[in-house]
Amino acid sequence: MRTPGAKDTSLLYVATPLWIKSDPVHRDSYPLVMSPIGQTLAVDHLSKRFGKVDAVRDLTFTVAPGRVTGFLGPNGSGKTTTLRCILGLVAPSAGTAHVAGVAYRDLERPGHVVGAALEASGFHPGRTARNHLLVIGDALGMPRGRADDVLELVGLSDAARRKAGGFSLGMRQRLSLAAALMGDPGVLILDEPANGLDPEGIAWLRGFLRGLALEGRTVLVSSHVLSEVQQTVDDVVIISRGQLVESGPLASLAGTGAMRVRVRTPNREALVTALAGVGDANTSLELISSDELIVTGLDSATVGHAAHGAGVELHELTQPVNDLESLFLELTATGNPGGAA
Amino acid sequence: MMHLLRAELRKVTTTKVLFFLVLAVIAFTALNVFLLVYLTPSAMGQVDSGQLLMNSEYIGNIIGAAGSSSIFVLILGIVGMTGEYRHMTITSTLLVTPRRSRILLAKGGLYIALGAVIGAIAFATAYVLALATLAGKQHAPIDGTIAAQIFGGVVLGFAIYAFVGVAVGALIRNQVAAVVGALIWVLVLEALLTVFVDWIGKWLPGGALDAVLQATNVSGRGGTEILSVWAGAAVLIGYAVLFGALASATTMRRDIT
Repeated sequence: MRTPGAKDTSLLYVATPLWIKSDPVHRDSYPLVMSPIGQTLAVDHLSKRFGKVDAVRDLTFTVAPGRVTGFLGPNGSGKTTTLRCILGLVAPSAGTAHVAGVAYRDLERPGHVVGAALEASGFHPGRTARNHLLVIGDALGMPRGRADDVLELVGLSDAARRKAGGFSLGMRQRLSLAAALMGDPGVLILDEPANGLDPEGIAWLRGFLRGLALEGRTVLVSSHVLSEVQQTVDDVVIISRGQLVESGPLASLAGTGAMRVRVRTPNREALVTALAGVGDANTSLELISSDELIVTGLDSATVGHAAHGAGVELHELTQPVNDLESLFLELTATGNPGGAA
Repeated sequence: MMHLLRAELRKVTTTKVLFFLVLAVIAFTALNVFLLVYLTPSAMGQVDSGQLLMNSEYIGNIIGAAGSSSIFVLILGIVGMTGEYRHMTITSTLLVTPRRSRILLAKGGLYIALGAVIGAIAFATAYVLALATLAGKQHAPIDGTIAAQIFGGVVLGFAIYAFVGVAVGALIRNQVAAVVGALIWVLVLEALLTVFVDWIGKWLPGGALDAVLQATNVSGRGGTEILSVWAGAAVLIGYAVLFGALASATTMRRDIT
């Protein structure tokens, strides 16, 4: 919901990534700022207990520069707690979380190394968007113009002098992102940045994050919906109930699901016989109806070839793109969600 | 540290809290000056209501009304610190400055300066209104030395008191609890304690503040013993440092979730 009188800023959104037009690095304008080469994030056997709740349990993963990494898990799986541990806001019960090899609070100029957007609510409702950024800029020692630059970058220039208290969720997300960019950091940590964004906003965010990674920055984006970040991320770290489920390139995750081929044929028995000759222990058949079956463990070329060799007539031969979302749900399905957000 | 002070200054100047509290200081000081000039002399049953105004100590008390609004300075410090938790701006504050004690130092430092400025504003309000309301009345001359002492007392007292507020806010992160707690302490508990345990009064924060402000109340505190100005300042700073250290060791170490 936009507040009455609020300008519909979605008209300002540009579908093409803004970074092409306006380089967020501003290397020329801010020569004193540390060169924003991405740093590696390393979470090592991290655990966090809140009272009786194990929010994070023995979590280990790394996040590489120059890539967008999706940090995925259902609500309450410990994503936010992990991010807050990385940023020194929450003290781990055990293990470490390092940026460029040191704990966040030991970084020389943390605000110039890491930029984080943690929640959409960390604004004084009576302070304008621009003043919020100027406060951060003052503490970082950035020139005044930086606030206006990042506001433009996230498409909030027109709302710069409005109070954050009247912002829609989407605008708050953009302001959080702007705040994270203030110090021109090499590492960006964004907690559910797509929440509350409209479809144009999400498309814009995708291009924006890709652009940041292309510049060599480390980008870690959390989400509870894989499909939201599927088109953006190179790597994934999937957690459930505070524990690591899967980490690695998205492409290899897609490979972890078994291949399925759907076949329709008037001569089902002949096809089953033909497939028995090419399948192995991992192959299975599921009979859907008298003329339809699903083959698991073989690709469409193998199935088609076997059918052709046996002279079986086919009416349909499809290999659906692996459904990552169901795979994600399968990986993270563990009954009742435990732990804290 | 300069960067942090500048950030803290911008925080306090970009919301309305400071504006309204300064307004409250001016209004409360003005009210006290008016009471002392117009109401008290007649309430004292002086046949000639101007007689009290002929007393130079009483004239000093009128200007000393500047010290009456100290509570607002305490609240300013509390709100400045607890607001970070209330609006969760503490997250972005700590992201830039992960070492939490530095935040406390920067905020404390800035609020000392703010308290001093507000003290000067309170003094100016009292002095100008005293001149205006006494004009045309028969009154004892305003003693420049006493006025200067009052100025120094209010500026120093308010500066330290704002710092105490920041430290209290760091210790009690809940804004409502901290403000209400401070009001109850200042207006009720400390007064009761002072009545029942005679010797303790001068060592309590309010008693120490009175010691710093003592020039503002030339006729004394109705016989209650107070410390010297500098001892009072030291005790008051001691409270701020004690609360700040306690906060650093406890509430400021907590997880920000």
